[in-house]
Amino acid sequence: MRKLLVALSLVLALALFAELSPFAQFETYIGADATGQYGGTLVVPTLSGPRTCNDVVAQETSSTDVIGRFMASMIELDNHARIHPALAERWEIKQNEDGSMEIVWYLRKGIKWSDGTPFTADDVVFTINDVYFNPDIPNDMQDLFADNWPVAEKIDDYTLKTTLKKTYRLAIRYIGGIPIFPKHLAESYVKEGKFKEFWTVDAINNGEIVGLGPFIPVEYVPDQYVRFVRNPYYWKHDKDGKQLPYLDGIIFKIIPTQDAQRLAFENGEVDVYGPRGTEYAEIKAMAEEKGWVVGVGGPNFGTTFVTFNWNTPDPVKRKWFRNEFFRKAVAYAIDKQSMIDTLYNGLAVEQWGPISQAATVYYDESVLRKYPYNLDLARTMLKLGGFKWDENGQLLDGEGNPVKFILLTNAGNQVREGMGNIITEALKKLGMDVTFAPIDFNTLVQKLVVNGDWEAVIIGLTGSDEPQGGANVWRIKGALHFWNYHPEVKDFVDPNDYYSPDWEKEIDRIFEENVKILDQEKVVDMFREFQRLVSEHLPLIYTTQQLYLYAYSNKLHNLDPTAFGGMWGWNQECIWKEQ
Amino acid sequence: MLKYIARRLIIMIPELLIISFIVFVIMQAAPGDFLDMYRLDPSVSQQFLQKMEKELGLDKPWIVQYGIWLKNVLKGDFGYSFYYRRPVSTLIWERVFATVILSVSSLAFQWILGIIVGVFSALKKYSIWDKILTVVAFSGIALPGFFLAILLLFIAAKTGWFPIAGMVSVNHSQMSTWERFKDIASHLVLPTIALGFGGFASLMRYMRGSLLDVLNEDYVEFARAKGMPERVVIYKHALRNAINPMITFLGFSISSVLGGAVIIENIFAWPGMGRLIYQALLQQDIYIVMASAVISAVMLVIGNLVADILLAAVDPRVRFE
Repeated sequence: MRKLLVALSLVLALALFAELSPFAQFETYIGADATGQYGGTLVVPTLSGPRTCNDVVAQETSSTDVIGRFMASMIELDNHARIHPALAERWEIKQNEDGSMEIVWYLRKGIKWSDGTPFTADDVVFTINDVYFNPDIPNDMQDLFADNWPVAEKIDDYTLKTTLKKTYRLAIRYIGGIPIFPKHLAESYVKEGKFKEFWTVDAINNGEIVGLGPFIPVEYVPDQYVRFVRNPYYWKHDKDGKQLPYLDGIIFKIIPTQDAQRLAFENGEVDVYGPRGTEYAEIKAMAEEKGWVVGVGGPNFGTTFVTFNWNTPDPVKRKWFRNEFFRKAVAYAIDKQSMIDTLYNGLAVEQWGPISQAATVYYDESVLRKYPYNLDLARTMLKLGGFKWDENGQLLDGEGNPVKFILLTNAGNQVREGMGNIITEALKKLGMDVTFAPIDFNTLVQKLVVNGDWEAVIIGLTGSDEPQGGANVWRIKGALHFWNYHPEVKDFVDPNDYYSPDWEKEIDRIFEENVKILDQEKVVDMFREFQRLVSEHLPLIYTTQQLYLYAYSNKLHNLDPTAFGGMWGWNQECIWKEQ
Repeated sequence: MLKYIARRLIIMIPELLIISFIVFVIMQAAPGDFLDMYRLDPSVSQQFLQKMEKELGLDKPWIVQYGIWLKNVLKGDFGYSFYYRRPVSTLIWERVFATVILSVSSLAFQWILGIIVGVFSALKKYSIWDKILTVVAFSGIALPGFFLAILLLFIAAKTGWFPIAGMVSVNHSQMSTWERFKDIASHLVLPTIALGFGGFASLMRYMRGSLLDVLNEDYVEFARAKGMPERVVIYKHALRNAINPMITFLGFSISSVLGGAVIIENIFAWPGMGRLIYQALLQQDIYIVMASAVISAVMLVIGNLVADILLAAVDPRVRFE
């Protein structure tokens, strides 16, 4: 008989502490306690139309935004990334002695697809085994699980079991978050080996889209709009037992420039708008007269940082960039406050470590080493690092080479260009001869990822509430470990000259190990150490993070915008609009 | 004449080959490729990128890629868009209608108004009206199209007289035919003005100058001296000769019909080809760019041909060999 090492129902155990615990998992689905009135159509601006309605093919938000309306999964995340049960009512985790992990999912009964077909465990098993973990259909989900793919098994019509060879911390979130495909429609495409052709955008106008989500797309006019209507079979009910969603429909109005989006918002043609930092004050001032709700939803997840190429073609420069004191001097020379004031109109925060403040579960300010703007301390760091100055004030390294390098960024991003000017100015005061060069984005990518021919760069990455999402960047052999690629990953790195300090290996270990641990407290500790190491040794020198800004018509109700949840998407079924 | 047209069309074939080859080389010479927009995304894996490279044929030498493209085009297949994963021909076809109505309305706007106002201005030479129109024309020539577009949008947002963006309202599909027509027409006004205003201003100046030149010719003086009514002198003799140089311009205008008003379409969210091509250029979605280059080249050749034929029709001195 198989012995159970741990058997726990996270749902029941944690529900009581849901509000208090950062790892909260809720007993109720999103919308269970909502109140509202029926009717109205939400009109949302979007920069471009969908490219596909097939989640496996979709790579960009213009497509996933459409998919997110009509597809649903076993669990859902709210606007603070807390887990709620959705199609699955509850689940149980079992860790077996051989190290494998089982999750038993209990599905809600009586749910129907938008064409009236009953939803059962067959749909979920099909989606997991034959779509997302089908070797013939490569997709991002497979990368998340590396060599530890889950296998699904039907127990009865409303129960299924997923098994992983090894314990995986994010299994609930990732498996539970898989959007479920309708087996009765998708199966033939999988069998014929043309699943990527399932649900192209043409499927919208052909009326072929069938989902479990609250809205179904029924009309797409290319480059004009996508129209969704309510799913008549949607399973959720609000506090008073009324069937959700409240809205009659949603329209994505495609407006390709931010300026036109803003004017359309002012003209009342769209209901929501994401203001830029530079226009926030103006929009806020108009809010009362126009009937808008305008606010700030905390820092974003995206990061911006300066980094140096430890394997740059010039061996003299490699030495400087690998010198920790050099990087610390640069960190002290970054005037974040003036960036916030001049580039964001004050609507940004300083960033000191690799995890965004918005990731409230993991962010820990107390472990971060900070480098407030101070050129004297920067000079001290340079002296400690063996640098000196000649009679003209030019900075020289220990061998007498003048410190001179090129700082790149992608042209057209005004914030990064502004940061480049502020940083270059300060570095010149330290005696460095820095050339700041904004270049074409594609050229920059080639240099960073393909040929390694760069010295310093200001760039940003998208982030998420879950630090493990950055594994590609932080693992030593990660494909985006661009400041110090491993020789096995990029052939332009000289194996004889490769250097990796112990702390880099420790970070690599954290990203390797944390996913094998289910005890969230331990994981938080590991990422605490990760934040400390990065802020101490500065492989990436972070700058500032913009705050999430929002504006919407006060006719809309039940919105609670945050950087994670966005303006409205996380609880779309609960939104209602005054007529 | 048929022989002349046939010869012009045959010369088009090597022209198109050379143009397509040059465009392909330029696209290849530009740094990076379509997949670059995914390369800095932590959530996109190396395996995925390699798989896509293979699937899109980006791992092959560029000359081989060109050969494959050419072979498919000869079979009538313009290839797939990397971004949309749909045939290029479908994508372009979807947008032809929008582009044609915007181009036709802006061509009509600039030509009809340009000629009328130009003639008016020439006949009222140095009057206060001529001076006002001259100022309008020069500001029209000097004002960048995108600036005028944003200005118009701003006015629309403040007054609420015109819709801000797009070609149709979001409830277009529920409208009657007449309402649909009105809907598109109201969306068409601002982009037409933004797109046509610069052209209108220069056409008006050309027309004015051309007519003034002709009015100074000896034969006009002669006709007047003969006692011919002024109306006949101007509209039958002078105007007919003054319009010749304009026809050459018309040839160029036709070539731009499908080429696209890239910036205007972007600002007004007009779903035409210009926007598709602009996006494709930024994303290095090469087969859309190639198809549009070929179409533009064809339109240029045909536009010139039409201009030549029209010229022959109005000017008896021009003859086909």
